[in-house]
Amino acid sequence: MIKDITIGQYYKADSVLHKCDPRTKLILTIAFIVVIFLCKNFFSLGLMAALTVVSMLISKVPVKMFLKSMKPIIPLVLLTAILNVFYTTGGEVLLSIWKITIRDKAIFTAIFIAIRIFCLIIISSLLTYTTTPTMLTDGIEKLLKPLDFILKPFNFRVHTLAMMMTLALRFIPTLIEEIDKIMNAQKARGADLESGGIIERAKALIPIIIPLFVSSFRRAYELAFAMDCRCYTGGDGRTRMKRMKFSLCDLFVFLSFIIIFAGIVFLNIKFDAVI
Amino acid sequence: MNVLSVRGLTHVYGQGTSSEAVALNNCSFDIEKGELVGIIGHTGSGKSTLIQHFNGLLKPTSGQILLNGKDINESKKSSVESRFKVGLCFQYPEYQLFEETVGRDIAFGPKNMKLDEEEIKKRVLKCIEYVGLDESYLEKSPFDLSGGEKRRVAIAGVMAMEPEILVLDEPTAGLDPQGRDTVFELIRQYREKTGSTVIIVSHSMEDVARLATKALVMNKGEVAMFGTIDEVYSKADELLTMGLNVPQITRIFMELKKEGLPINGNIYTVEQGVNEIIRLKKEGYTL
Repeated sequence: MIKDITIGQYYKADSVLHKCDPRTKLILTIAFIVVIFLCKNFFSLGLMAALTVVSMLISKVPVKMFLKSMKPIIPLVLLTAILNVFYTTGGEVLLSIWKITIRDKAIFTAIFIAIRIFCLIIISSLLTYTTTPTMLTDGIEKLLKPLDFILKPFNFRVHTLAMMMTLALRFIPTLIEEIDKIMNAQKARGADLESGGIIERAKALIPIIIPLFVSSFRRAYELAFAMDCRCYTGGDGRTRMKRMKFSLCDLFVFLSFIIIFAGIVFLNIKFDAVI
Repeated sequence: MNVLSVRGLTHVYGQGTSSEAVALNNCSFDIEKGELVGIIGHTGSGKSTLIQHFNGLLKPTSGQILLNGKDINESKKSSVESRFKVGLCFQYPEYQLFEETVGRDIAFGPKNMKLDEEEIKKRVLKCIEYVGLDESYLEKSPFDLSGGEKRRVAIAGVMAMEPEILVLDEPTAGLDPQGRDTVFELIRQYREKTGSTVIIVSHSMEDVARLATKALVMNKGEVAMFGTIDEVYSKADELLTMGLNVPQITRIFMELKKEGLPINGNIYTVEQGVNEIIRLKKEGYTL
């Protein structure tokens, strides 16, 4: 049960996207999100969808995993689509019953939004499937580095933030294991976690949360101490074992995305907008 | 009479997934009332998985756990009841302490059993005494105690449910030798006073030899041996292949026997060894 939760859903494989620099992937993911909102007609959206499918296939991550991450979103997509069908104005009337009129533009919008949301989900899952959480935070750190200029007067660094994120991610599985252990120990003393009203259930959590806090504080203290012992003083002057480098892979991925993005702009101009 | 019987117990973790692992494979044995059983096994041999079945925390993939002849997984009710009848104390139990005072923490189990105030108070007083601490501790915060004291309070918290079977998973892990001796002595006394069945999980053959009446050896999820200390420890070669070592003192005396000294039986503890040497000296042997 509780062990099944996967965080940092990295899928180990050997693909172009796995080899890419995390910065490339971060920038392109953000660019993708911006561009997909610029799409005005089915031709440009189709190109984006094709790009999504191709990226998904070259990542060598099983399609099953994407379907799994899309599953919880389906109700949301349906709801948005239905609302759009009823509330969009303009375009030719296709059907009119009582007070409800359905127009062709409304149908287009609904399909458009559904495709857009699925593309967004696939692309953002792709980022986490092909990048380990550590690589991701390293990439964010590098990208946000210029912010140090603003943060410096407050004696704070982007590195500190990235380190905090890395550590938080690192401790999630550890804490899940810990919760499991504490829950079992309290259940062995007859703690009832499964029945009762909402207040009783909240109360039943106290014997689990307090030991969890106590051990988290203890771990934090020990970790800080261990980092101190290894002369950790923050990011200034710190070198890396694995340095991030732009490779041919990055260039290839970057160029193909740029060409496709240019294509989107072209298609947007060439054909009429549907939404 | 058998207080606990395990019949063909098999447990598979993550069944049907790619990480499927057989933790227990067709385990069967009976534990008699009043016995002190030591469960020994290498890391990953299935000891911890096994004991979590005794009080219904884990459900068997197949097989049965009979407590006084009744299957504990028969119904939801019987499974919850088994939690109170089999007191399970996990490794490093001090991490389960959460109340403001030691007294209230020990009372957590009995409270869950829905006992009346008076009975709870009686049990708390009795159990703090079982673990060799005095009444003044009851008002202290459990987080102010030393490691060894915390451990003892946590054990008292399980004892307070007055289980028919007390199961302790590595009760002395991480304690100094003195703390270890204290905890073992307390467990021995507890069993004498209450006459209840005790099961101790340990990877120390020395500790089991010193304390237990019977030993159960787990190997790769199966019950490799089950019998009296003499029966199990005499198969030193077999134990070695499972990554377990007979106590050092036993090995010394085995060598001495090979040298031709007339040693009586097998020696498992240092005390036995000392007595044997004294006996041999009296009989005029030079060592």
